Amino acid sequence: MLIEIDGLELSLHQRLILAGVNLHMQPGDIYGLLGPNGAGKSTTMSVLNGLRQASSGHVSVLEMDPWTQRREVHRQIGVLPEQAGFYDWMNAQDYLRWFAELYDRALAVGEIQLQLAQVGLDAKNADPIGTYSRGMKQRLGLARALLNRPKLLVLDEPTNGLDPRGRREIHDVLLGLTRESGVGVLLCTHLLDDVDRLCTRIGILHQGKTVVEGSLSELLAGGPAAGMRYRLRLLAPPLRTEFAHGIRVVAQEGQWWRLDIGSGTSPQDAWRELLDAGWAVSEIHREGGGLEDLYLNLTTTEAAA
Amino acid sequence: MTSIGLIARKESGELLKSGRGLAWLLALSVILSVFSLLFVSNTELSLLDNAQVVYMVMGTITALGALLAVVLGSDAIAGERERGSLVPLLLTPVSTGDIVFGKMGGQAVAWVVTYFLSLPYLWAVGSSGQNLVEAVVYLALLGTPVVLGFGFFSLGLSARFGNVRAALITALIALMLLASPLLLGPGLRQSTIGKAFDTVNPFSAAVNSFDSVVIDSQPFSMQLGRFAVTLVWLILTLWFAGRSVRTVEI
Repeated sequence: MLIEIDGLELSLHQRLILAGVNLHMQPGDIYGLLGPNGAGKSTTMSVLNGLRQASSGHVSVLEMDPWTQRREVHRQIGVLPEQAGFYDWMNAQDYLRWFAELYDRALAVGEIQLQLAQVGLDAKNADPIGTYSRGMKQRLGLARALLNRPKLLVLDEPTNGLDPRGRREIHDVLLGLTRESGVGVLLCTHLLDDVDRLCTRIGILHQGKTVVEGSLSELLAGGPAAGMRYRLRLLAPPLRTEFAHGIRVVAQEGQWWRLDIGSGTSPQDAWRELLDAGWAVSEIHREGGGLEDLYLNLTTTEAAA
Repeated sequence: MTSIGLIARKESGELLKSGRGLAWLLALSVILSVFSLLFVSNTELSLLDNAQVVYMVMGTITALGALLAVVLGSDAIAGERERGSLVPLLLTPVSTGDIVFGKMGGQAVAWVVTYFLSLPYLWAVGSSGQNLVEAVVYLALLGTPVVLGFGFFSLGLSARFGNVRAALITALIALMLLASPLLLGPGLRQSTIGKAFDTVNPFSAAVNSFDSVVIDSQPFSMQLGRFAVTLVWLILTLWFAGRSVRTVEI
């Protein structure tokens, strides 16, 4: 188990910040930790990074206690904190070389350039970090987190400030890492799109508590927001718009049709029924749909109560 | 290189490699040049004797070193925290103690640079008079614990407050208080309170020792008590910094 957290509680200044967090992560998992602002995501991360001590509950990272074995944990994990500050007067190469030395690693120039190229930074860039855009700094932060070849990556909003191409590149780096070297990635983000594309498991925090945890596909299939909404573009008007089970047309605007497919209907059955009804589909978009609804349903005050 | 050495290298690199960092060296040179010119012109007019000028330059260098140490110390923890670079540092396998000692190493490098930069000025004002060698030695011997003590004290404040501005203001007030003998001159230090303050004040210990050695040519045995006061100051501020770092909040 990469991370095992059960019943984590934490009080700060006599205030209960975490009131029952559970998180379980296996090697190769990409785990999305979700929750509204102030739900306790960053605090949970600081506990598993060994920067804060839990008041109660069980916390294990790479089979170690992150508080008492902090230095060994830090040697084996890579972290991109939400506020990843840099030394603006250094350039990226000097910065990575210096950080690598803190991990007792002497990086050759070639290795540094590879590391920079992996995250999409110009490997020959000798400009001071102070001149970098936010997105470039984010990439450099990711390169820093990968310096010690970690078994576990803990990333707080890793695609913040990146353009769509940059986001896609970082997604590919993370997917490659989990596929090729079994690295586990704990992703803390507000971007449900990132979670949808990357994560195999998710946990949703609300008011310091885990309100749901599990495999993303299972939660979407059986969760309270079961079902999907699609936007379809048709080549011609359909023969039929009424369906017996599970499919419901929500709206139509020109060539575009919105419809819900209920949880009781498998996608294969739905598409077959649409074809039979003369739906000549040229484009399909999934809308908001499952994860967004699941998130919104579980993070309302009533849901938490 | 040890992790303490790596942190110290980064700290001193920030001061000596970056364009903005190097500005302090220019400012220091300008201040020392202006003071030296003032002192030399006064000596030429026979308004001050040569030993008196050397003593005053020594006090000025110690005060400038302490001022620099206060600025660096106030920024050491709180500045990194405010710029978001403290957490990545704490997430490395380097212990908090090593990070603090590395930062203290950076402060020591700044003082060493200040010290060597000031030597030509000391020579310029004192080469024709007495006790120049003693001045150079005593500036190192008593100036070092006083200056580093101010650095450690400010670092402790920086860790406790987590805010550069609060730490800097508090440390500057403490510096003004302890450096008051330099500002007020000997006349106001003859009262009972002034004498008592002089006895425990590390800055007074240093400047009184400079006076004793450079102007009155007294031996080292007469300076032992003053030397002890500066060492106690250094140890106390080191202890304060160590205690304060444990309170750092991320």
